[in-house]
Amino acid sequence: MTATQPLLEDTVLGPKAGRLYRRQSFATGLGLGILLGAIGWFIAQNTIQSNENFGSDMTVAVTMAGWVIGFNIGIGTFNAVIRWMLGHDQDKDDELYAAGVGQGKARYWKYCTDHKVVGTQYLILVFILFFVGGTLAMMIRTQLLTPNSTFLSPQTYNAIVSIHGMCMIIATIIMVSGPFANFIMPIMIGAKDMAFPRLNAMSFWVVVSAVPPLLATFFVGGVNAGWTTYAPLSVQDGPAMICFAITIITFVVSVTVAGINTIVTVLTMRAEGMTFARMPIFVWASVIGGGLGLYAMPAFLLAMTMMVADKATGTSFFVADQGGSGWLWENVFWIMGHPEVYVILIPPVGALLEVMSTFSRKPVFAYKLAIGAMTGVAGLSIMVWAHHMFTTGWAPDLAGPFMLTTELISIPTGIIFLCAIGTLWRGSNWVRLPMYFGFLFLWNFIIGGVTGIYLSDVPADNYFHGNMFVTAHFHYTLLGGAMIAATAGLCYWFPKVTGRMLDEKIGKWAFWMIAIGFQVTYLAQFYEGFKGMPRRVANYDPLFAPENLISSLGAFLLMAGWVVLLYALVSSWRHGEIAPANPWSAKSLEWHTETPVPLENFLQDPKVINDPYGYGASGAEQVHAVFGHHSHHTIEEGVKQ
Amino acid sequence: MSSDHQEVSNDSVLDDLAPGLDRSLHRQYIRGIFVLWFIMTVLGVLAGLYLTPILMPHMNSPEGRAAVKTVIVFTVAAAPVAALVCAVALYSLLHTRHRGSLDHPPADGPPLRGNALASGVWLITSTLLVVFLLFWGLTEWSAQQVVHADSLTINVIGQQWIWDYNLPAQTVRLPGGRELKIPKELALSKLNLPVDVPVTFNVTSKDVTHGFWPVNLGIQVDANPGQRTVIRTVPDRLGKFVVRCSQLCGLNHAYMYTQAQVVPDQDFQAWVQGGARGPILAVASSQNGSTK
Ligand code: HEM
Ligand SMILES: [Cu+2]
Ligand SMILES: [Cu+2]
Repeated sequence: MTATQPLLEDTVLGPKAGRLYRRQSFATGLGLGILLGAIGWFIAQNTIQSNENFGSDMTVAVTMAGWVIGFNIGIGTFNAVIRWMLGHDQDKDDELYAAGVGQGKARYWKYCTDHKVVGTQYLILVFILFFVGGTLAMMIRTQLLTPNSTFLSPQTYNAIVSIHGMCMIIATIIMVSGPFANFIMPIMIGAKDMAFPRLNAMSFWVVVSAVPPLLATFFVGGVNAGWTTYAPLSVQDGPAMICFAITIITFVVSVTVAGINTIVTVLTMRAEGMTFARMPIFVWASVIGGGLGLYAMPAFLLAMTMMVADKATGTSFFVADQGGSGWLWENVFWIMGHPEVYVILIPPVGALLEVMSTFSRKPVFAYKLAIGAMTGVAGLSIMVWAHHMFTTGWAPDLAGPFMLTTELISIPTGIIFLCAIGTLWRGSNWVRLPMYFGFLFLWNFIIGGVTGIYLSDVPADNYFHGNMFVTAHFHYTLLGGAMIAATAGLCYWFPKVTGRMLDEKIGKWAFWMIAIGFQVTYLAQFYEGFKGMPRRVANYDPLFAPENLISSLGAFLLMAGWVVLLYALVSSWRHGEIAPANPWSAKSLEWHTETPVPLENFLQDPKVINDPYGYGASGAEQVHAVFGHHSHHTIEEGVKQ
Repeated sequence: MSSDHQEVSNDSVLDDLAPGLDRSLHRQYIRGIFVLWFIMTVLGVLAGLYLTPILMPHMNSPEGRAAVKTVIVFTVAAAPVAALVCAVALYSLLHTRHRGSLDHPPADGPPLRGNALASGVWLITSTLLVVFLLFWGLTEWSAQQVVHADSLTINVIGQQWIWDYNLPAQTVRLPGGRELKIPKELALSKLNLPVDVPVTFNVTSKDVTHGFWPVNLGIQVDANPGQRTVIRTVPDRLGKFVVRCSQLCGLNHAYMYTQAQVVPDQDFQAWVQGGARGPILAVASSQNGSTK
């Protein structure tokens, strides 16, 4: 650190430096997590393990719960609550310490309340999750290179497909709401931090604690039932299903906390003059996505809790011969599952519209309509879940109504396209790397959207359901759509987050590999689906051999593209060209504070006078905010990270 | 643009879309986008019409052909919208792309914050399209709900990881006064269907959920433990196909399939009469495209 360090050490670490909780970090979390997990295992082994019906399920449940709780105690999730109950709240020193002041890189390993640290932590976690999920995808595609491949056993194959799916779903849910809604969004609205900085740190470390149980599934028999874990198959599964459920339950806590934090931050922390109508579209997208998550996620928690109960305690919510119903599982699951895909999609779409506006040098076209469209998508999305159940035989009379609600979603979705192309229309189109991904999004998402309307049509779904067509469709929307839009956002905000410019030359190589690899992979999968190949199969009819070979080769190119992009990101992060504060000459607030962003974000309070889209306007209308009044109450004025 | 009247109204639209810009320029833009849009729409329509039947297999029932037809119709209906998105994007890449140094941002574009006309047209068009899709789907769907007075009943039982078929003893009256007789209950491991005879599948499962999917019949329904689900069709083309499982059902889900074929009804009758032993006269595989 710099010359300010001695000062900080005096004031911040000085007399209280020895306190127990200041020694907490990822390492103590890991240690306590393993310890409590082991204690749980030991107790369960010696008490309930002997019950042959559910002894091993209970043992795994107790072990995993011990891990999650232990890790969170160890990292410091409960510190504030415990100290508050003991009668001493945090003082200013503690707050500064918690915000990571003076701790250099070590703060990234700690329960740090600075939203920029949390955002960065999330970004790294997302990279790791994508890398794990991507590696699993490569194993799937290696197995599917040839019809009768024995690279993976059917059991391993099922386990890998399931965890690939869930790992990717978790990664995509947090890929924008984690890094960017945390790092960028508060700066965009002129806030000093999130509304609940400690809950913010909590949301991150709780997801971290959810990851080991997910990977542990491989060591206790593997999840056999896909990421949708349909009952009663999943009830039949071994203790891996318990690990899976613990992951979900833990993850839901994190998403809920994060969603509440995002919404309250936007409601209460906006800078002077930042009216709702002046908020960047990405802020709206974060709020709408976060709000939808608050609706969707509790159903997931409920479903998984019932699942654990069925398995470990002998309830029978989903077991038909004891009065339960698999359809109940399917309903509760998709009541979560469909809104969840829009929890994934909406925030990246907000990021995409920011990118389109900045690089077209034009306002977001039909800004209010875009907000309406995102709200409309979110609202409708809670009424469409049974389109995943057209072929289950459940409530055939509801096929029509669910076809209606599903097809209605294409109206607000269409408006999002209108806003995107309206922004491009007559724009100056500065084609930098983020914009490459922006164009790729449009292409992919059109294909994902059109194939979605085939699936919404009941007679057509009676052919396509459960087949590779569906797999190709949702990869076009989630990977080709949401993840590519998120990548556009990543390239766009990279200079602000890391303080360095991204190497666009390597980035463009990565782009072309991703763009081409993706089309090859999934167009071939559409063809497999057209021909009638079921999904989630470890081997297939030789009839489908050529297109599977092509799809696998495309997937290898695609993954290679991501690895090249990862290389560009990491190498630029480490020794890229130092970024100016506002490399894109954009107008929203995050570009109008220094890079690296100071603690509490602004040295001078912003006062917002227009929306951030004053491109091409004249006079004062071009200006988003003025800075001038001095900050009133920063915790450490002028201290930079 | 031939008449004066059209010229004027057209210009005011252009003014709306790009205020303060020289008209010949924005007319040029619209023309460019129109040309791209037109070409891509034609390509999309052609792909829908001619590619779909090549990509999808021959179907052995009206439901199967309805799925193919739906893909064709929806592709054609979506082509103009998809083409417009692509046309605007492509035009902005080809023509209005900033070509100078990419190190610095180009000059701002015009401050267009929206356009009531464009939004309105877009909204109305997409709403009409959705109404059409819905109308199409409901029409097809209700046509498939027709229950024939008499049909061949087949009980389908899924279990990890095989399909079993059970033909109860029954007499099915066929159009034209003939009858199809199943003298005694038959348990079968392959699916044989008489052509042009309505068939009702009663589907259930002994363990977990499976998906009963006779691929080239274009219908499917889950086999749920403790439930009976029903689907119907009239196989109307001879040919072989495969019954697959469309719902992940555990370890050997991938291998849960049986051969199936649609055969002439006399052959079917003779085979049943003979106790359903041995194969029925084999017909050509419909996966390879041959039909009756
Ligand atoms: C390198 C990129 C990727 C490749 C090559 C890939 C490939 C695959 C393959 C081959 C399957 C199995 C298909 C089946 O049999 O149904 C699959 C399943 C799946 N993928 Fe991906 N995938 C990739 C990225 C993603 C991403 C970014 C997501 C984001 C949500 C995702 C979500 C899923 C889901 C939810 C499943 C279903 C799992 C299940 O059936 O339970 N994938 N993927
Ligand atoms: Cu859905
Ligand atoms: Cu199956």
